[in-house]
Amino acid sequence: MGGKAIIIVTIGLGFVLGYISMNLSGMATRSVENMSNYAMATESHNLAITGANVGLSKFYGDTSWSGTMTQSFYGGGEDNPLGNLSGSFTVTMEDLTPTSARLRSVSTYNSSGEGSIHDTVEVFFDTEQENGFSLYAWLTGFEGNDDFWVTGDTIWGRAHSNGNVHVNGKPVFYGKFTVSKGFDPKPGVGTNKAVYKGGYETGVATVELPNDLSQIEWAANNGGRFYNGDIWVVLSGSTGANEDGFAIILASEGGPVLDTVNINDPGFNGVIMGEDQVSILGTLDGQLTIASQNDIYVQDNIIYENRDLTTSDDVLGLVADHSVIIANSAPNNPDCEIDGSIFARSGSFEVEDITSGTPRGNLKVKGSIVQATKGKTGTYAGGTLKKGYAAKYRYDDRLADNSFRPPFYPGYGVKTYEISNWWENVRIPEYAD
Amino acid sequence: MTAIMDVLVSFIIGGILLMIILTANDIAAENNTVYNGDMLVQEMLISTCQVLEGELRNMGFGVAETVTTIVEADSGAISFLTDLDRNGTVETVRYYIGPTSELHNTQNEGDRLLHRTVNAGTVSSIGAVTIFDLSFLTQQGDLLPRPVPLARLSEIHTVEVTIEVQNPYAPLNPMGDNPQALFSSSLWQQTRLASQNTRR
Repeated sequence: MGGKAIIIVTIGLGFVLGYISMNLSGMATRSVENMSNYAMATESHNLAITGANVGLSKFYGDTSWSGTMTQSFYGGGEDNPLGNLSGSFTVTMEDLTPTSARLRSVSTYNSSGEGSIHDTVEVFFDTEQENGFSLYAWLTGFEGNDDFWVTGDTIWGRAHSNGNVHVNGKPVFYGKFTVSKGFDPKPGVGTNKAVYKGGYETGVATVELPNDLSQIEWAANNGGRFYNGDIWVVLSGSTGANEDGFAIILASEGGPVLDTVNINDPGFNGVIMGEDQVSILGTLDGQLTIASQNDIYVQDNIIYENRDLTTSDDVLGLVADHSVIIANSAPNNPDCEIDGSIFARSGSFEVEDITSGTPRGNLKVKGSIVQATKGKTGTYAGGTLKKGYAAKYRYDDRLADNSFRPPFYPGYGVKTYEISNWWENVRIPEYAD
Repeated sequence: MTAIMDVLVSFIIGGILLMIILTANDIAAENNTVYNGDMLVQEMLISTCQVLEGELRNMGFGVAETVTTIVEADSGAISFLTDLDRNGTVETVRYYIGPTSELHNTQNEGDRLLHRTVNAGTVSSIGAVTIFDLSFLTQQGDLLPRPVPLARLSEIHTVEVTIEVQNPYAPLNPMGDNPQALFSSSLWQQTRLASQNTRR
């Protein structure tokens, strides 16, 4: 009787302890499984990153590539360098918009018992970037056939021409000078004794000027100001305090006043455009672009209220659909100074009546000059100024930052495959039950 | 007489079995608690790490290149900009370690909450940790001082994250005069966590 009871108790005890033991070992197993799942998730993620890097390598080797590419891996076995890694990644390269693209890498990690685990990495590209023309201290579409850079000419900053650059003497170029055609004569040959402190490069792609000023016109009609006919714009720095400047718009030199624009008004986007000739003078306090659908005439000095460019936040753009012209006006004789970036879309930056009169002193520009055709600002004979101005141009170094330029200042697109963003999926943990 | 002997022997054997059962029960309960604690700690750690790791990897997503991605960097706190839900709007995400007083009701005196906020909104706790330590390195691998001065935030290239998680409750080790709680512990360290977006 007692023996049977002991056997029953022993068997019961065995069941109880077995059950407890099974639970404990199950818990220990799940504990390991959690770490194992984390390891598998990491492997899967790394596989997706590997796919992205392989895809990037392929893309940068051939930027015209788009489509899908898959690679598979089969691990296992002692000597397999992949260890137990078994899976694949699929990389897809596709255009999202005309100026952006995406590379997507999706991994498939074959885990034992857990099925397949997928991870995604996406790499976004900007395929085209807009650079402001103000990045150039000097840019011309065409340099002319008989206009030479001579001794005493200096460009501070980056320069470019879509045509041939003629040199006769020892001008100094502080920034890199790029040309789409070449130098005439070649650097260091014959009369070309120019000093290229930033180096030079020939045969580079042309930098195309825009076909119109529609973007500025749009801005002038949406948050800016647009005026029909000829206008005069008189800039005033007001009290000398920062950010209180304004512009008076007149129908002609003697008036009447058409408008007064508070340049720093938050509701004003910084663009003033005239339908025809726009004459400008005065002192600017703020950020402003003055544009014309015809020519711009500089009637007198145009300067910043704060001319210390290390502290100034004043910036001006003079954008003409045709030419920017230094008027043959009394205030401009002698000397004319312009603080700002000059853009002559289809014409030149030039001097009015350059063939008449006597030398008019110095023409100082602190900013950037972009023009379709190099205009004449002075004529020389034997190294002596005979007509017009002696040009003294300095680049505004603040403009070398592409994000700093006059409001809605024209820009040009450049092909680029710069990575703009990189995204990796965030895995939500899944635990063993 | 024989019957009495049977009863006595049964009592003795039964007593021994009972003691074995009780001892086994104690051991099983302790092991169960320890294993359970281990698993709990691992789950907490993995959960915390995967959320943190995932978001740190995407620091700077959707943020303009000219903008400094990390806006606060200290040993126990980090704030950074990212477009969390990829809708074109950049959010400010902040992770920071709370004081131990927040979890003073737990048996573990060292545990504290790891908090997360988005745009300084509602504070959510993503886990309880005992160590949350951040180090910041430049591209050259130089360690930056903590807190990283504002002027040097843009130098941050990689982040080193160390997290330790212990369970909030644990059985006491009965051995010795001064019983110690048997806290399970799990440590995770990401020595070179770099967001590709900060490398552009």
